Amino acid sequence: MGPGIITANIDNDASGITTYSVAGARFGYTLLWTLLPTTVALVVIQEMIARMGVVTGKGLSDLIRENYGIKAAFFMMLGLLVANFGNTVANLAGWAASMEILGLSKYVMVPVGAIAIWMLVTKGSYRFVEKILLLACLLYFGYVISGFMSKPDWTPVLKSAVIPQMRWDSEYIMLSIAIIGTTITPWMQFYLQSSIAEKGIKKEDYAASRLDVVIGCLITDVISFFIIVTCGALLFPNGIRINEAAEAALALKPLAGEYAYLIFAICLANASLLGAIIVPLATAYYICEAMGWEAGVNKSFKEAPQFMWIYTLTIALASAVIMIPGAPLVFLMVLSAVVNGLLLPFVLIYALLLVNNKKLMGDYVNPKSYNYISWGTILAIMLLTGFLIVTTIAPLGSL
Amino acid sequence: MSFLGEVFSSDIIRKPVLDPKGEEIGRVKDLVIIKGDPMPIVAMLIIEKKKKLFRLPWADLNIFNKKIISSRIFKDSLQPYELNEEDLLVVRDIFDKQIVDANGAKVVRVNDIKLEGYQDNAMLVAVDVGMRGILRRLGIERGSEEVLNMFKSSLPYNLISWDYLQPLRPKLNAITLTVPRQMLSDLHPADIADIISQISREEGAHLFKDLDIETAAEALSELKPEMQADLINAMDTEKAADIIEEMPPDEAADILSDLPTKKVNELLENIEKEEAEDIQELLGHEDDTAGGLMTNDYIAYSPLMTVQEASERFRLNAKEVENVYYIYILDKEEKLIGVTSLKEMILAEPDCLLADIMETNLKTISPGEDEMDAAEIISKYNFLALPVVDEDGYMHGIITVDDIIDMLLPPVAKRKRRKV
Repeated sequence: MGPGIITANIDNDASGITTYSVAGARFGYTLLWTLLPTTVALVVIQEMIARMGVVTGKGLSDLIRENYGIKAAFFMMLGLLVANFGNTVANLAGWAASMEILGLSKYVMVPVGAIAIWMLVTKGSYRFVEKILLLACLLYFGYVISGFMSKPDWTPVLKSAVIPQMRWDSEYIMLSIAIIGTTITPWMQFYLQSSIAEKGIKKEDYAASRLDVVIGCLITDVISFFIIVTCGALLFPNGIRINEAAEAALALKPLAGEYAYLIFAICLANASLLGAIIVPLATAYYICEAMGWEAGVNKSFKEAPQFMWIYTLTIALASAVIMIPGAPLVFLMVLSAVVNGLLLPFVLIYALLLVNNKKLMGDYVNPKSYNYISWGTILAIMLLTGFLIVTTIAPLGSL
Repeated sequence: MSFLGEVFSSDIIRKPVLDPKGEEIGRVKDLVIIKGDPMPIVAMLIIEKKKKLFRLPWADLNIFNKKIISSRIFKDSLQPYELNEEDLLVVRDIFDKQIVDANGAKVVRVNDIKLEGYQDNAMLVAVDVGMRGILRRLGIERGSEEVLNMFKSSLPYNLISWDYLQPLRPKLNAITLTVPRQMLSDLHPADIADIISQISREEGAHLFKDLDIETAAEALSELKPEMQADLINAMDTEKAADIIEEMPPDEAADILSDLPTKKVNELLENIEKEEAEDIQELLGHEDDTAGGLMTNDYIAYSPLMTVQEASERFRLNAKEVENVYYIYILDKEEKLIGVTSLKEMILAEPDCLLADIMETNLKTISPGEDEMDAAEIISKYNFLALPVVDEDGYMHGIITVDDIIDMLLPPVAKRKRRKV
């Protein structure tokens, strides 16, 4: 599997599955249309990022630091740290939620899980586990099957997929931002570019990478599509709003019947573990690289203090948040997607500036269409954010 | 002007520049650096006023320190400046870029630059790669220092002298002396390989090109296979052949086994015949067997030689052979019958025969056996090398302990660099 496909699999993390499920459950098919433009944007952006990785041979955080100086790098890394703290919270929330479905207390399983992950990563044996988790991502195709088995009325589905409808309530807008944020996650761009740069893929071999990236994006969004459809078909008509993760499991009933809960829990646990292993690790690496600090999982706290502290604290604090009694797990997972959506424009702006820099990219700068689509995405998110703020504050103003 | 004391570049950038009357003529946008002796010096300041750039030559400066920068001339006498690629600028070209710390054999990032007064010039003496530099650039060095003082600790300085820095980009190369370039070659090849594995592929290839053949050969064998193949393919065949010729046959075979057949044949044609034959023999063995791990470079003498004769022959042969601690004894049919060590030879009487001092209780391994078995034997008997002998008793080569260690614990540069 190439970096593109791996990246895509990791994209469907706890936050992703939950966001799409909630979107389908609360609004039926009416949010489906957001997937099409988001997918197009995703393909364009990831292709751009991959191209940058191939041509410059460097990671995104390196490029930002080298071309925009330390202030830019510092604030970007700060943003990334916050967003990824959110991601880790979401992943651990997913882990806790899946354990709850299986009847295991989160007060036991979250510390166990967190410690297990921390040890796996620092002792270096996580590669093997990662491969298993990636393979288990095939479980998501269950949603596709379930989607067909639930026999939705395809006419409204396809109509909603193509015809945009805008609703002016804050929940709808928030979920739109969440969908964008969890599909085009900021840290994924860093991850993808780093993976490609490290693999040392050459310009001549770029076509294969590009295919890998495109296929990855398509797979991810086909699955997202079906999650929304399945939840829209089965949960929305019955008014199930997914406040608890267990409610999301019902979407798999046609496929798995009584085992729906089990399969969903496994799916969620799998996605959560994958994310909880990779995201804090990647974040710590990018920050240390940009700042010029020592980094490495097998280093001690003395040798690479900043790296180890960032990594350890991210996991520890995220676990603490989840363990607060009554913490709204589903809400947290969607919230993390929103935070990512808000950070995205900044990452995109830098990526766009860099990929259009002739000195860096030579002949491989963006074609005009790519620039339009990218700026369009940035504009869309900023507009949505503006609307969100307005629709959240306006009701308060009228009090 | 005379400039005494020291100052950091980040303290100067964006500070206002005053004319003799005390009025502001602009803000410092950047500094132009040129070659100096012994280290680079500031040639002029680039001033920005109302979006236009002007040059302020060093000679026209009056005061230059953290608090005040003032010039001798008025703004009407300022010459305009146009950004170009040839000039080396501090903020644009040096800040935030990666640079090689030859002393520490690693790659670091420039956070800030320290200037010191030397003979009326501001000389670029050191680079700040530590946390202090980052905080200073963000403008919170003082604040952080005060906070830390409350806890009775302080920020350490992490400066690297310009002497020890090897630039990565060609532009920076232009202003440094030849000393740093040689310095890179003085680094241990394993450190060089480490550095190459830490930077981007293009920069690594660039660095590699500058190395002399011997250093290149040693560094090449320490790199991971993809990088090796890349570098060999990027060089012209003759130079590549020269480098491979310089390497011990087992390492050369390792590199060639990862290249396409056509390239391998091209290279072998350009390598000296004997070496090429040695390499080809090794290429015939499977990767993870004893045969794939061994080298066919070793010292072997007849049992009828005296210690005196052997010592003299050794002085001639040892130059070309990498591992010389054990001397193998072959009978007239070239079968392995004994082994002795350098230590034994030196301690023995000169007129003894090798047959008298050799050890005949031989531990060997056959070429087809697994490399882990070789590791176990070497570990059990505490050997430095293990002879590889076929079932008829003919010696094919030796497995040395450093190759065993590399197999069990690959060095950082050889491991796949993928972190996440």
